[in-house]
Formats: sequence, structure tokens, C-alpha cells
Amino acid sequence: MRKILFFPLLPVRDKEIKVRTRLFIAFLLLMVLASTFQSKYDDKVNYFSEQNTFVILPPAKSLRILSFGYRNLVADMIFIWSIQFYSSYYFSNRYDYLEHVFNTITDLTPLYRAPYIVGAWIMALEANDYKMAIRLLQKGSDAIRDEYLFDYEAAFYAFQELEDYALAEKLFKRASKRPNAPALIKRSWAHLVYMRDNLQFAWQLWMDIYKNARTITEKDSSFNHLYQIKYEMDKKNLEEKAARYKKKYGMYPSNLEALLRVGLIKAIPKDFTGIDYTYNPAAGKIKARKAYRWKKSS
Amino acid sequence: MKIKAIALNTFKEAVRNKVFYLLIVVGILFALSSHIISMLTLGDKIKVLKDVGLASINFFCVLIAIFTGINLVFKEIDKRTIYNIISKPISRSNFILGKFFGLGLTLLVALLSMAVIFFLFLLISTGEFDSRILLYFALLYFELLIISAISILFSSFSTPILSSIFTISLYLIGHVSWTFNEFKHNLIKPLEKAAAYLFYYIMPNLEKLNIKNIIVLDVPIKSDVITASLLYAVCYISAVLILAILIFNKKEFQ
Repeated sequence: MRKILFFPLLPVRDKEIKVRTRLFIAFLLLMVLASTFQSKYDDKVNYFSEQNTFVILPPAKSLRILSFGYRNLVADMIFIWSIQFYSSYYFSNRYDYLEHVFNTITDLTPLYRAPYIVGAWIMALEANDYKMAIRLLQKGSDAIRDEYLFDYEAAFYAFQELEDYALAEKLFKRASKRPNAPALIKRSWAHLVYMRDNLQFAWQLWMDIYKNARTITEKDSSFNHLYQIKYEMDKKNLEEKAARYKKKYGMYPSNLEALLRVGLIKAIPKDFTGIDYTYNPAAGKIKARKAYRWKKSS
Repeated sequence: MKIKAIALNTFKEAVRNKVFYLLIVVGILFALSSHIISMLTLGDKIKVLKDVGLASINFFCVLIAIFTGINLVFKEIDKRTIYNIISKPISRSNFILGKFFGLGLTLLVALLSMAVIFFLFLLISTGEFDSRILLYFALLYFELLIISAISILFSSFSTPILSSIFTISLYLIGHVSWTFNEFKHNLIKPLEKAAAYLFYYIMPNLEKLNIKNIIVLDVPIKSDVITASLLYAVCYISAVLILAILIFNKKEFQ
């Protein structure tokens, strides 16, 4: 019975009640004291101060050994922690170890897709470090050879944010070669080739897309690009020839047939729809019925 | 028959222990908690669900193997019930083997109970049955048998506290012993190289049986690698049990 009635306020015996009451009061007092010390300590420590935003994370090689066979679990835990940590906006210096954190996670489990994507989002959209995001995505692309998303996203950052068209072209090309890559990626690659003024190759790529188009959007999109590329190639060629004509005869040709007559061109080109270009004899300039303004940024 | 009798007796003794059930229940609770942890992540939630669940089952099964195994032989010696056993026509090797198979049966029951609940949980959570996890559980069982053999070996000549320290140490070493294979390439002196080789081959290599990291990531599994791993486990368990029998045979009971 004594064992069962352990609570100090229950009447068992007078002496026992006294002892237990004292012990209970002592327990309460100690808890109050402990709380006081704790709150005093808390008043002095700012848990959210920037001095506390350090990250001690061993390199992945060491962590791989120290995980003792629970490598995936360790990577999951660091990944989940990183999501919470990088969502804590009161740390202004929280990006100091960003690349190290995501490199560690991806070194521990190179085939885990989510950290590459989420890490790149944090790097690009939160830390505004697009080069770092591209580095992480390229690491993902090297590790997971059947995934197109990493190269595609990296190419998008290179194109849109860095305006590094050479890099964007390289990344779009790599993404388009991956299995199950959507047709949009090849169109993006072809567009980048065009943007870099490699008109002949861009023509080949767009022609291939045009011939193999499965949807109306794809057909229309490739048609418009082919129209523009042909126009640019013809314009360059015809205006060059008109300038040469002027050098020889002292004036621009009155029409395009004049170029044909003197043998500077073999045929008068038409636009991609088969309609004649408009020629301005005063300036020696060619104009198409419609022209796209895709290159205005370059 | 004698081995079977000892094994069944060991099994009955182990399942009577409340700690055994406690570890199973905590293991199951931890495995089910993977659902909560997976909610904290972004992207592949199923991966986190499987990672945490499989790691929990692994960890608690290892605890059962160690803490049941270290007491098996020692308790018989400490309570002097060993005199009753060895006075009967039962060889000491039969006694060790019986204890091992009894512990193996106990672990099989523990693993199966955790695995069945985890499979049901996974089926409800994801709506799919991942048969590759079955292979993982099979290999985990062999890992547990290696740990059991090691714990019985230490239990045959040491106290439970020391046995648990030794077994836990070997369990941890077993998961990093692969590093000695890589480490030896950095060594120049032949003696150091030989020591690294020796350490690599003597210590258990439990990473051979740990496929949870590749199962979860859908990496293809090579059947020849699995076969080699299973053969390795069988050979290693046999070697450790022979060592345990040799030590136990030399032991004098006063």
C-alpha cells in the first residue's frame, strides 16, 4: 500500500506525510530556482544572434565514415536541417557555408535528386549566387546521367540571369541529349545557337525540329524561327552584294534583279513563306514582311 | 536435436524478456515516425520515409542482437545453470550453436514483426509494394547474425559490460572497415601495409550487407555481389562461432 500511495499529499502516516511534503516543497523550490537561473542565462544569450550562425560540418568523406552505414539518413537529416536553416531569414550571414552544406549532402548521396534542385533554388533565388547554383546543378548532372532537369535549370540561369549564352548553349545541348528530355529543351538549344549567330547550325537544328514536330506549337515555333533565320541569312547576303554593287557602279542596284544580271547572285531569294523581300534601293537594305525581335537584348 | 532443444529454450528465454518487446515497440514507433520526418523535407518524401524507417529497424534490431547476445552464455555461467547443462551429454559446441540459433530465431521474429508493420505502413503511405526492401531485410538478417555470433563469442569469456563494449565497437568498425582497403594505398612501409590488410580481412565488413543506401535510391543491384556478400556472411559467422567454441571448450568451470 505504501508503495502505491507515493503521492506526498495522500494521508498514509503523519510522519511520512511530513517527510514527503518537505521533499515535495524542496522539489518545487529547486525547480523554481532552476527556472530562475535558466531565464537569467537566457536574458544574456541571444540565440538568434549572428554569432550563432556557425556551421561545423565535417567534409563528406569523413561524414561517410562517421555515419557508420547510415549514410542516407545522415544526408536526409542535414538536408532537412538545411531547409529549416535557410528558411530562417533573421540570419543575414546564413549563406556563408551554403555551398559546403549542399556539397556535403550531395557527396554523401550523389544520387539523391532533391538536394541538387532545392540547393540550387536557395543559391539562385535566395542567395542570388547563380554561378554557385549552376555549379551544384552541373554536379547533379554529372552524378545522375539520366536526368535532364539539372542541365536545363542551369542553362536557364546562365541564359536568363548571367546572359552567358555560350554556357547556356552548352547546357541546353547537354540537357536535350538526356533521355526523356522534353522537346522544349531542344528548341531552347536551337534558339541559343541562333542567339550566338551560328545561323547555319541554328537552321539545321530548327529544320530538324520542324520536320519532327509533333504538336502545332512546335510546328509554329520552328516555322517562325526558320523564317527569321532565313531572313537574317538572306539579308546579310543580299546587303553585302548590294554594297559590292555600289562599290563597282557607284550606286545601289535599283532592284534585286540588277544583282542577278551582273552575276552577283544566282537567284533572288524569297522569305520562308515564299514571298519576296522588300528592297530599299536608296539604302541598299532588305526587309522582310515580318521580323522577330529575339536578338534585341544582344 | 540437442542444438534444437537449446535453441528453442534460448528463444523462449529471450522472448520472456520485457526489454525485447520494448525494443521492438520503440523500433516500430521510430520507423513510423519517419512519416513525420518526411513532412519536413522538400522533394522526395518517400525516400526520407524509407531511409528513416529502414535505419530505425536496422538500429533496433542491432540493439536486440547485442543486448540479448551478450547475456546468453554469461548468464548461464553466472547463475551456474551451465553445470546442469554440461553435466548432461551435451557438447560445449552444441551449447554454443544452440545459443546462436536460438538468438537467430529471436532476431528473425523481431525483424519480421518490424518488417511486416513497416511494409503495411509503406503500402498505406505510398500505395506501392517495394519488393527490393525484402532483399534488404534478408541481408540485414545476415548482418544481425554476424553481430550475434560476435556477441556470443565475447559472452563466452567476458562480462556483459565488456562484451557489449566489444560488440558495439566491432559493429561500428564493421561499418568503416572498408576504409582500410582504401587506406592501404596511402601506406608506403610494407609492415604498415600488411597491418592494414590484416585489419581489413579480420574485422567484419558489415557494409557488404548494408544495401539500404542503394535500395532507396533505386540503384540496380548486382546478383553476383549479393551472392558474394551472403557467402562472406556465412563464412564469417562460421569462423566466429568456431572461435567461440574453441574458447568455450578451454574454459574451466569451478
